[in-house]
Amino acid sequence: MRLPRQDRFAQIEPLLGKVLHPARYLDHEWGAQEAQDGPFHVCMIYADTYEVGQPNLGIAILYNELNATEGISCERAYLPWVDMSALMRERHIPLLSLETSSPVASFDIVGFTLAHEMVASNIVETLDLAGIAIRAEERDEDDAIVIAGGPSAWNCEPLSPMFDAVLLGDGEQEIVDVARCVRDARSEGLTRKQILDRLSHIDGVYVPSLYEVVVDETSTRWGYAQPLPGTGAPRVVYKRCIPDLGATEPVAQRMVPYMGIVQDRFAIEVLRGCARGCRFCQAGMTYRPVRERPASQIIEAVSEGLSFTGYDECSLSSLSTTDHSQCEQILSELHERTRDLGVRVSIPSQRLDSFGVDMASAVSGSRKSGLTFAPEAGTQRLRDVINKNVTDEDLERAARNAFEHGWRRMKLYFMMGLPTETDEDIVAIGDAAKRVLQIGREVCGRPRKGKGGVSVSISVAVFVPKCHTPFQWVGQLSRDEVRRRQQLLLQSANDRDIKVSYHDSDVSVIEGALSKMGRAGFEVVYRAWQLGCRFDAWTDQFRYDLWLEAGRAAGYDLEQVAAESFPIEAHLPWEHTSPGVSKGFLQREWRRAIDGVTTPDCTMTSCTGCGVCQTLGVSNVIAGDRHGR
Amino acid sequence: MAGKPPIGKPDLNRLRVRFGKDGRLAYLGHLEVINTIERSVRRAHLPFSVGNGFARRMRVQFSQALPVGAASCCEYYDLYLTERTDPDEALERLKHATPAALAPTEAAYVGGRLPALEAWLTRSSWEVRLLGDGGGFTADRLDEALNSLRAVGQIDFMRGDKPRSIGLDNTLVGWTACDGAAEGSWRSIDLSLKTRSSNLGALRPAVLLEAAFATEALEGAALDSLRVTRTVQCHEDEEGSLIDPFDERLLVAAP
Ligand code: SF4
Repeated sequence: MRLPRQDRFAQIEPLLGKVLHPARYLDHEWGAQEAQDGPFHVCMIYADTYEVGQPNLGIAILYNELNATEGISCERAYLPWVDMSALMRERHIPLLSLETSSPVASFDIVGFTLAHEMVASNIVETLDLAGIAIRAEERDEDDAIVIAGGPSAWNCEPLSPMFDAVLLGDGEQEIVDVARCVRDARSEGLTRKQILDRLSHIDGVYVPSLYEVVVDETSTRWGYAQPLPGTGAPRVVYKRCIPDLGATEPVAQRMVPYMGIVQDRFAIEVLRGCARGCRFCQAGMTYRPVRERPASQIIEAVSEGLSFTGYDECSLSSLSTTDHSQCEQILSELHERTRDLGVRVSIPSQRLDSFGVDMASAVSGSRKSGLTFAPEAGTQRLRDVINKNVTDEDLERAARNAFEHGWRRMKLYFMMGLPTETDEDIVAIGDAAKRVLQIGREVCGRPRKGKGGVSVSISVAVFVPKCHTPFQWVGQLSRDEVRRRQQLLLQSANDRDIKVSYHDSDVSVIEGALSKMGRAGFEVVYRAWQLGCRFDAWTDQFRYDLWLEAGRAAGYDLEQVAAESFPIEAHLPWEHTSPGVSKGFLQREWRRAIDGVTTPDCTMTSCTGCGVCQTLGVSNVIAGDRHGR
Repeated sequence: MAGKPPIGKPDLNRLRVRFGKDGRLAYLGHLEVINTIERSVRRAHLPFSVGNGFARRMRVQFSQALPVGAASCCEYYDLYLTERTDPDEALERLKHATPAALAPTEAAYVGGRLPALEAWLTRSSWEVRLLGDGGGFTADRLDEALNSLRAVGQIDFMRGDKPRSIGLDNTLVGWTACDGAAEGSWRSIDLSLKTRSSNLGALRPAVLLEAAFATEALEGAALDSLRVTRTVQCHEDEEGSLIDPFDERLLVAAP
């Protein structure tokens, strides 16, 4: 039911003294858009706590775009922590937006960010707390249009019954088109059904209710979605893609939170997309092509952003920042400009080569706490399978270089359960760590006792096959087998200066199942929420037992669902929503993987035929020269 | 709380700023206030000095932490500047760069060798409005309860899951209580409270009142919520005289 728009902060205020971190619920941050005149109102929601959601750059971009559009206002909401939501339910207070403390159920559009799969139960919880019907089909005529988008929208089927529309790809123009469309349609007095029809004609917009799921001999058990006859909805919805990132506003993040948040710094997106072609990486496939911002724009924007926000740290964010063709120039100019201000520049991940180490060194100053590399697999054979184009020599050279630059702690990321993986590959992870440690000891010497020595930590995630990647057909490694291989690794990485940590294999099973299921999977999500699942990305809240129970109640064994592999010719549950990378390319990449043949980065060589550029009419935009390296 | 020395080198300019904490921002924690003010200083483009340490932090020192939920009109920080910006101009720039509910209200240069604010500001005054109900919820009963606590001389309480205790002989300076106007269905009591802090600790109004409502004198009364405002912070010298942080004797002339 649509609620009236009114400021209800007075209802929340008496609760602030009774909950953890009241700053989560305060609003009034520096840079927040307090004037929310509308008359058309959108609320963007990250369905987790404030400190987790607030750093999200995607929401910041959409927030700015909408608030800059005449007649449209945009506010934010986050999911209150369990203490606050319990009090709100007890006192019949619905979920409120931050800026004006209006009920989320009073908005015209409510938009969710799908940041990862494990946000599923929180979306149900958010809708319920807001008092908005959970299933789109149960919403009233004048209820908010509920939309979603983001990095994890590529298999949105298990969540799609909750959404009136899903936005695929780059959102900055798409969100404005959608908001205008709903606004105009409302003012013309169109019905909800008519509004959804109209939305389905906007590029990049998928309207789940206009599609039916068909299970036949060409499909998996989850079937595939096809447009209902007579709707005119496209058979395949392709993502929206901004051709030139440099033409968009570079300073997206203008809000300065009071509480410490997860990434508490000014962040600027220096490039979008990555064409390295790692075969396990969904972002690498779905954000293509590569679009760099020019160095001059980045440098100006960082100055402006730091000056506006007052942050003392800035992050140059992207999927692979050190691949920016002008990375060196950007870092040295930023260093020059911020030298006397106590400002730190950070880059999220290092390339595994000496250039990566040089760049890390350029930003670290004297603070060399730890350096992170991601070889992902232990043997050359397996790295060729996953198309991680680094060699043992790269790792060794980079490690030596880093120790010589003064680092003492090295962190290495690996995955477990990659296709074709054998025990030999697992043992090789331990060997790689030992080799890096050995190099460190050679370079830095070995102190007599404990402190001051070199150390290596390895972090091993369970590989979860994701849609629209060359590994989308693969089944996930079973939980028992993960545990066995973890033991094997522990035995092989037997040095007290090597620390091994794992991701929780239980969470990976649920993530894997949610990544594989089709629309019928919503039954599992809904039941899990009913059983009490919330905040599944928080280790202390995640309840594997409840998820399995929810699966059983809906008729599925989730461990088996995650482990299931699909025939390479099968019609997959997500093929009607496409990032533009062709199925033929993914199939070819799969075969090359099995043969251990690598595929180069198209920004360094020439087109390798993924299909994005031709399908979407875009191309790689490189500001400088990547070959020059 | 050990008396920290001032962090500024003698050649730096020590700008003392008073600010408030108001409205919903009363719910910020001390660390959140510190971060916000530091960012305000950067936004104000004042010539702040940066420490040489590992983390290269801004040189700024704050007065004692205000409890989460408490408002104030008298919080302080000393900011070290490399140039002597006109204090009125600095105040203006800070005002424009700070969220209104934390806005600065006064700024002046003080002597570089003065002790750091946190340990120096030993006296606080508080205005507290208590909301509650029950037969015994009156100012007289509260008065009685506070007297009985003072007779015991100590409060044992929990902070999180850790047991703590605080002596009242030195920390509880005085109070007056009177019945206030009803708010909706709640009755109210207005309490003016004076406290003193030392290196043994500071007495928080909420701790005192929670203990008061557990005494016999307030049996049958229920406390629902508190609205706490700090109204004065100052230094108490050996003779017992009170010195304001902007006392003329502390200031150094503007250029
Ligand atoms: S179509 Fe070619 S050039 Fe474009 S992203 Fe794909 S491989 Fe690269």
